[in-house]
Amino acid sequence: MTEKQNSEVRFLMGNEAIARGAIEAGCSVAAAYPGTPSSEVLESLVRWKKELNHPIYLEWSVNEKIAFEVAYGSSLAGARSMAAMKMVGLNVASDPFLSAAYLGVRGGLVVVVADDPGPHSSQTEQDSRFFGWFAKVPVLDPGTPAEALTMMIQAFDLSEKYQVPVLLRPCLRVCHARQNVALNVPGAIGDVGPFKRNWTRWAAIPRYRLVLHGELNEKLATIVRDEPGSLPSLILGNASASIALITSGSVSSHVRDIVASDPEYGDIAVYKVDMPFPANTEALQDIVDSHAKTLVIEETYPVLELQIRNRTKVTGRMSGDVPPQGELTPEAVEDILVKTLDKPTPTRSTPTVKPRRPSLCPGCPHRPAFYMIKEVFDKSVYAGDIGCYTLGINMGVVDTCLCMGASIGMAGGLFRAPLEENSFRVVSTIGDSTFFHAGVPALINAVHTRSSFVLVIMDNAVTAMTGGQPTPATPTLADGSPAVPISLERLVHGCGVDFVEVVDPYDHAQLRETLQKARSYTYDEARGVSVVIARRPCVMSSLAEPSSLRFEVGEECDLCMSCIKDLECPAFKFVKEPEKRMTIDVDLCAGCGFCVNTCPSHAVKVKGA
Amino acid sequence: MAELILCGRGGQGIVFLTRLLGDIVSSKGLNVISSETHGMAVRGGSINSHLRIGAFSSPLIRNGHADFLLSLDATETDNNKHYLKSQGVIVENSPLPSENGVLRVDAARLAREFGRVQLENVVLLGFACMINEFPIQSDEIKARLALHPNEQVRAMNLVALDAGSKACLTERC
Repeated sequence: MTEKQNSEVRFLMGNEAIARGAIEAGCSVAAAYPGTPSSEVLESLVRWKKELNHPIYLEWSVNEKIAFEVAYGSSLAGARSMAAMKMVGLNVASDPFLSAAYLGVRGGLVVVVADDPGPHSSQTEQDSRFFGWFAKVPVLDPGTPAEALTMMIQAFDLSEKYQVPVLLRPCLRVCHARQNVALNVPGAIGDVGPFKRNWTRWAAIPRYRLVLHGELNEKLATIVRDEPGSLPSLILGNASASIALITSGSVSSHVRDIVASDPEYGDIAVYKVDMPFPANTEALQDIVDSHAKTLVIEETYPVLELQIRNRTKVTGRMSGDVPPQGELTPEAVEDILVKTLDKPTPTRSTPTVKPRRPSLCPGCPHRPAFYMIKEVFDKSVYAGDIGCYTLGINMGVVDTCLCMGASIGMAGGLFRAPLEENSFRVVSTIGDSTFFHAGVPALINAVHTRSSFVLVIMDNAVTAMTGGQPTPATPTLADGSPAVPISLERLVHGCGVDFVEVVDPYDHAQLRETLQKARSYTYDEARGVSVVIARRPCVMSSLAEPSSLRFEVGEECDLCMSCIKDLECPAFKFVKEPEKRMTIDVDLCAGCGFCVNTCPSHAVKVKGA
Repeated sequence: MAELILCGRGGQGIVFLTRLLGDIVSSKGLNVISSETHGMAVRGGSINSHLRIGAFSSPLIRNGHADFLLSLDATETDNNKHYLKSQGVIVENSPLPSENGVLRVDAARLAREFGRVQLENVVLLGFACMINEFPIQSDEIKARLALHPNEQVRAMNLVALDAGSKACLTERC
């Protein structure tokens, strides 16, 4: 740790800054499950650990509940600890999260929960600040990457001082923003001493939970009274302005830039709240009382707005003046501001074309698996799951997508629809990481209850959608140190499944035969759950073996479009001029060659053969 | 102050360019903030980055405020043109000839010529940085690319940058 680092400035992503904040705060245990926009927090911790030769323990946990519990355990053992996840991950971790608020912590415990207003890459637009309120856990809401670093350190101090977990809630526009950020010397590893037995607290029965609830309420009252973070601070304009604007988090940055950019907004005083829960309700009311009108702009739910006691002069989400869904982009903020000032809505141009939809990558092993599932099972109900393979929608092989693991849980109900029983078939698809995360209990349930469906586990050896993080089957931990790899097939057997077959999805004949066997087993013979593990590494991962083969479309092509419609491979390009023909983009083609088997007119051949 | 939009398809190296430019500006002691696309969209979908140099807190450029639009995929330009101010300049990866307000370079072809189409992003940047009003100079980019620890990557990046710059000089002279 040299003096040089003291003054260093780097262009850091919000998630890198959050990780840096943890290191500077002396955090020594961090656990996470990947999920956009939070995944880079633990990835960055791995890099800081290596760069600084820091002793922090890091793990990709099997799911967010376990990540929280690992961090909670190490906090009880005295270490400054953290867990990181996306907002729907907090739903998974909600059970220990709510209890931990009552029980309290020892070493500072910070839960980083990234929200995704929009949503850009998520299932919901839920506001984790509201979850903090529900759990009675203090929440810090950074507006920029630089602020996220500072708040991370404040969060650890706050947590340790009041012995409560603290939630840091960055939105996607903080997580995936980059900014010049000043680094400081990492602090000493935090340690409040070893675990001390106290069952009335750490194993509290309901009678003591009541006492602990009272203690938690007292902690929150003290935080509001003593901590400056709960006070709104005037960041722009004049306290004598006629309009007050109360804001927090990433949207406060849009507000700040827009209000500062135009003298038209000169009569607005902008107040920013760093800790939206527990907010200082008296201070909020003072603002409302001292201005003619108050506007609240926050993402995504009315957390600050609802903590204002008398809202007769307040506009925001509760009054319908802020859109109740969708990201508050700078344009949305501008629209709200001009409406508040009774000015005309600015005219602006909008995109003239639709954004390109995402697709499975060329060479993705999920593509042949989906293609063959459709061929073998045809008119079935396809229960899908969360991951890259949700993109099976494009191929018509994903009919449902609810949440992590639901492909298996829902299959157990889908096949029981009374009128349809015995008449329709259910095929579930789930990735390896998602199966470990939430599919295992669902599979045990399905087998135990004599459910009848086919489950295809699409095992590409990584958590691909979020950037290729390891899974429990990986022989190494997050930082590269050795792990005990968990065998997927042994796990499936252990769930009570008798039919388990592993197949390479690139092997056209074998894939068809295996899926047909599973179909016979489930629908003609045993009427139980059959599991096919379609195994081949993600084409984007370092485990993939790149193919040097390239393919071309020959004269046999009759332009049936099957390669585009059914196989949905992005490497195929239909050219209209000078004459209509199908081509393969050599830059995109990954050389998997599956199209050779699927082309109805056998027109695809090895290039140059 | 300068505001840039970079756009293309997932996998074309938009994030690399954004980070490269931000690193350069940040190391000069200037304020810079950017926003990137991650998650499902990077699987071949439409993506863009915003880069704002100056005293900004928000990482997002407002409609009609960008000085430059660097487009690695011509079909994505229309998706992002609304960010440009009226005098803004489009720099596009395309085999078509340039026209008023849209400067074009066939970065994909140039990159393929020296064997790696993946370097089309650096070729496009090499072209853009030769435009007078572009906020980051060619020498600054070269100096940054020269820091790459892998000798082969370093060499290829510099070749790609030069190829783009030469194409710009040829076009404008």
